[in-house]
Amino acid sequence: MLITLLFVLLFGMIILGVPVALALAGSSLVFILLSERIPDVVVVHRMINGVDSFPLLAVPFFILAGNLMNTAGITNRIFDFAKACIGWMRGGLGHVNVGASVIFAGMSGAAVADAGGLGTIEIKAMRDAGYDPAFSVGVTAASSTIGPIVPPSLPMVIYGVMASASIGQLFAAGFIPGLLMAVSLMLMVAWYAHRRRYPRDAAFELRRLGRTFVKAFLSLMTPVIIVGGILFGIFTPTEAAIAASAYALFLGAVVYRTLTWRRLLRVSFDTIETTAVVLFIVAGASIFAWILTSSRVTEHFAAILLGISENPIVILLLMNLLLLVVGFFMETIAAITILVPVLLPIILKVGIDPVHFGVIMVLNLMIGLLTPPVGMVLYVLSRVSGVPFERCVSATLPFLIPLVAVLLLVTFLPQLSLWLPTLIYR
Amino acid sequence: MLDDDEPVSLADLRPEDSLVFLLFWGLSVVVFLQFFTRYVLNDSLAWTEEIARYLLIAVTFAGAVIGVRKRDHIAVELLARYLPRRANRIVDLAIDAASAATFFFFALLTARLALRTKQMMVSIDVPKSVVYWLVCLAFVAMGCLALRWFWRRLRNRTADAPSRSAVG
Repeated sequence: MLITLLFVLLFGMIILGVPVALALAGSSLVFILLSERIPDVVVVHRMINGVDSFPLLAVPFFILAGNLMNTAGITNRIFDFAKACIGWMRGGLGHVNVGASVIFAGMSGAAVADAGGLGTIEIKAMRDAGYDPAFSVGVTAASSTIGPIVPPSLPMVIYGVMASASIGQLFAAGFIPGLLMAVSLMLMVAWYAHRRRYPRDAAFELRRLGRTFVKAFLSLMTPVIIVGGILFGIFTPTEAAIAASAYALFLGAVVYRTLTWRRLLRVSFDTIETTAVVLFIVAGASIFAWILTSSRVTEHFAAILLGISENPIVILLLMNLLLLVVGFFMETIAAITILVPVLLPIILKVGIDPVHFGVIMVLNLMIGLLTPPVGMVLYVLSRVSGVPFERCVSATLPFLIPLVAVLLLVTFLPQLSLWLPTLIYR
Repeated sequence: MLDDDEPVSLADLRPEDSLVFLLFWGLSVVVFLQFFTRYVLNDSLAWTEEIARYLLIAVTFAGAVIGVRKRDHIAVELLARYLPRRANRIVDLAIDAASAATFFFFALLTARLALRTKQMMVSIDVPKSVVYWLVCLAFVAMGCLALRWFWRRLRNRTADAPSRSAVG
């Protein structure tokens, strides 16, 4: 059957190393050429239409804001502030690592970017303080996945566009689960620190806290603008992204004066490239998803899954299993664009809130970023830290326990995700 | 990540990249205008939304050209880790050739789409096909760059291609 060929082609190409976007568009093209009933122009038409969406405008501007933050030296200030806050605990830098990631998560929406930017600083600081590199990589990898759960979040924007769910509500829904992840990771760090007698950083000092707070104050306003603006319903996500970019531009150019013309050029092109890479996948996945829907594959799949059970709890467990497995092999953005049209009808049928499901989906795929064979975060951190990939894998493994625990909590306690959005939006 | 004392390298940029640079900052200005007029003047400019969407399409496809040139598009390097060098080379050659062919075919399809599109944009008096022609041009450029990778690899001039970055 043609559909089988479509899937074999897609996965074959991905495994061979064809870029994901091209594998999606290419396998769709072959399907349409062979099917002989769909005009071939549909391929490019769907690809272009897939990007033709106003909410997607949040993508370039959240990326721009994050890149500007990194150049403005804001990352260092936030790390210092987090160190003054919680560095005095045993295993201090491990906790700082998680804490800084949470703050940074409030301005950046991509886990891999967090790992590459903040992660570099964190791993270096931990190495200088005598922590073993594998532990540093483990904490850094695990805490970078908080980024796309706490708003803003690129995966949530893509999910919202695909599922026609409110991106503002999705952002609000990720807030509490993101904090839960931080707490669970800190418990894990505390346990390690106690067993391995990790050092404490400098003792707590109110003056130092005050000093680092003043230095970091203007930077700390960025997550306040974004998260606060969205949670209080002042900004739509796209507006928050624009406001944050404008503010970061102002900080870098006027206040800190770290933004030179050369750097602005660099930041612009980094933003353009990342945007294009993400949205090119969205374009490729759009035609692929269109084929799945129009050839009724999604209906058949729904019938099979609902044949097993119509109990929401069983369905959610199955979904988690499926998403985890997909997350092992598939890149986040592509996984969301392909899976939403397939899974959403099932979710709606058994009465699960699409916003709740959005959080579940992104959380699953984040865990996939930490697992081989396609653990993007691990590749980046292995390069940054010089720790061999296999060591990175085994060092990150224990940190999956707290993350999976949070995943189960979030799955079976919908209120964790839905309480905030219902409070804010009506 | 840039540190204060780290020199900023712009060596990867080419003169033709100025087009996508202008598109991107054009997009930024339009979206900021939309934001500003809605908040401060309480009356958003009608044309900004439509033009912003078209500019986003343009930035996506024009930016994807840079992605092909720098091999930045996300790919899974699963097989490459286990295959011998020689086999890897053959796989990569095949991918480059097939990519080039696909991009050129997409360019052709987009050109047909553009020729078929007679509508004007809703808010300003510009034919909608302009957007499609731009995408068509981008596909042609991607095809040429993929072909160049193929050619370079064939003559063995690629000291291991830079590894692909990732987002998500």
